[in-house]
Amino acid sequence: MEAHVTFEPISFRKRLKSMLKVDFRRMLRSGLFYILLACALVMPLLMTVMMTMMDGTVSVDPQTGVETVMQGPENTWQNLGTLPGGETMGGMDVFGMCNINMMFMGVCVFVCCFISEDFRSGYAKNLFAVRTKKGEYVISKTLAGVLCGALMLIAYLLGSVLGGAIAGLSFDLHGLTALHLVLCMLAKIFLMPVFVSIFTLISVAAKQKTWLSICGSLGGGMLLFMMVSILTPLASTFFHVVLCLAGGCLFAVGLGAVSKAVLKRTRLV
Amino acid sequence: MNAIEIKNLSKQFGSKQAVCGLDMTVPMGAIYGFIGENGSGKSTTEKMICGLLPIGGGSIKLYGKDYTDESVRSKVGVLIESPGCFPGLTVWDNLMLQAANLSVPNAEQEVIKVLKTVRMEGAAGNKYKNCSLGMKQRVGIAMALLGNPKLLVLDEPLNGLDADGMRILREVFLDVVRDGTRTIVISSHLLGELQKVATHYGIIRHGRMIAEMTADELDASCRTYVALQSGDMDRTKQLLFGKFSRVETDAAGDLRVYDATTPEEIVTYLYENGICVTSIRTDKIGLEEYYIDLMKGGKG
Repeated sequence: MEAHVTFEPISFRKRLKSMLKVDFRRMLRSGLFYILLACALVMPLLMTVMMTMMDGTVSVDPQTGVETVMQGPENTWQNLGTLPGGETMGGMDVFGMCNINMMFMGVCVFVCCFISEDFRSGYAKNLFAVRTKKGEYVISKTLAGVLCGALMLIAYLLGSVLGGAIAGLSFDLHGLTALHLVLCMLAKIFLMPVFVSIFTLISVAAKQKTWLSICGSLGGGMLLFMMVSILTPLASTFFHVVLCLAGGCLFAVGLGAVSKAVLKRTRLV
Repeated sequence: MNAIEIKNLSKQFGSKQAVCGLDMTVPMGAIYGFIGENGSGKSTTEKMICGLLPIGGGSIKLYGKDYTDESVRSKVGVLIESPGCFPGLTVWDNLMLQAANLSVPNAEQEVIKVLKTVRMEGAAGNKYKNCSLGMKQRVGIAMALLGNPKLLVLDEPLNGLDADGMRILREVFLDVVRDGTRTIVISSHLLGELQKVATHYGIIRHGRMIAEMTADELDASCRTYVALQSGDMDRTKQLLFGKFSRVETDAAGDLRVYDATTPEEIVTYLYENGICVTSIRTDKIGLEEYYIDLMKGGKG
């Protein structure tokens, strides 16, 4: 009698669960993840302390003789955004650009390295040989990237608070409340999928070429970088949060579909 | 039921036709030796079977289902080009990740089982990047064996293995197909090794299948010959060339007569011409020689 073979279908939920399990396990064992978190924690701390120490220092341009007075931060929350009544684009200090919003660009290093390692090591080949649906791969990578980005944002916030406490900066919210801070952070976290889905798309297109995906992601991310401070100000309201959530979902779904199509139509090894 | 049924498969890269109207049938339970020169389209075909390359045309069925069917694809084990492990992780971690990917129940037990199968249980804690080439290859086989796959597609699995490693893998392959439902496709240039395990063969050239046969059919189509040595090889050669249509000297220096004859007839003929035969035997050409003959346009 001829042997008979039966194959059991695997549900979407089970497939996604297994992929998420692998990606999160990998992320938590990745040195890069902890390096990025450490950077996110230490960077604002060092910046705040050093800039405070240099506050009032006068430097003279040897050619023109013009004197420049270094201006340090006055408030801890400058690391997160411009305080009400604070200076904006017209008189920008270093914290105008080098603040928590840098994490939106920083997470591209994680996403690009994470995805390119899949292709470089041959793991993607093993995975796609047993998984025909490319959507789950994109969802899983996007979620891992968003989680990493969210943790980097939280680490940056902690670093800022620590830095502010060490440097003896003010924690005054200038009329804002703690709820505004929470909403601001939530808005930033919900905006993260916008950037992560761009980085994911570029990374699946570049495959094992890490340098190409990082350069492409930085370029692609820069196009939207300026909108972060507009969409997630310190004085964020529920409207900002909902707007960021909607934007994050739309970008994740739309660009996720494009990433899936790229994976479907291109060679995977 | 056939494990793989390919009809009119094609694939083009730019202007190069890598696979051209390929038909291939791999019966369930077979160890299928997939043979071809470098660049003949073996790896491209294997990648298409595993869904790693979009197919250009034709159809691929695995166990009667379309090759894109998730349920059948989850039962495919693959070793193509490299094992696909993360270099910074240990052998154990890499296998556990693959087990999680495949949603293998009792993952730890399963990983221990496959490590034992490829005799790698002692190296589970080694970082993958510190493994030797042969060990990496065995880890790749272990990865492919995870999740009790019904179809194993292995591209050059014997590369980098020592004699003991090859013996172990031969035993693994034979063990895998023992129940008659699991199938292995192996492409390899080590034809002598392949011949020890393969039950079926497919020979590909320029993207087309030029021969497909069972091991028994190959055996029947492999020509017999009489190999001999004598005290005066030059004169013997001259005499044999005069009497037989196909006489060749092999790598060992023996003279081979491929015509339909017997050792007795040759010995008598040479004795009558004053030549004393020192050794004579009848033998069959192996897969390697059959393949070379076929590539040259002969009939084996």
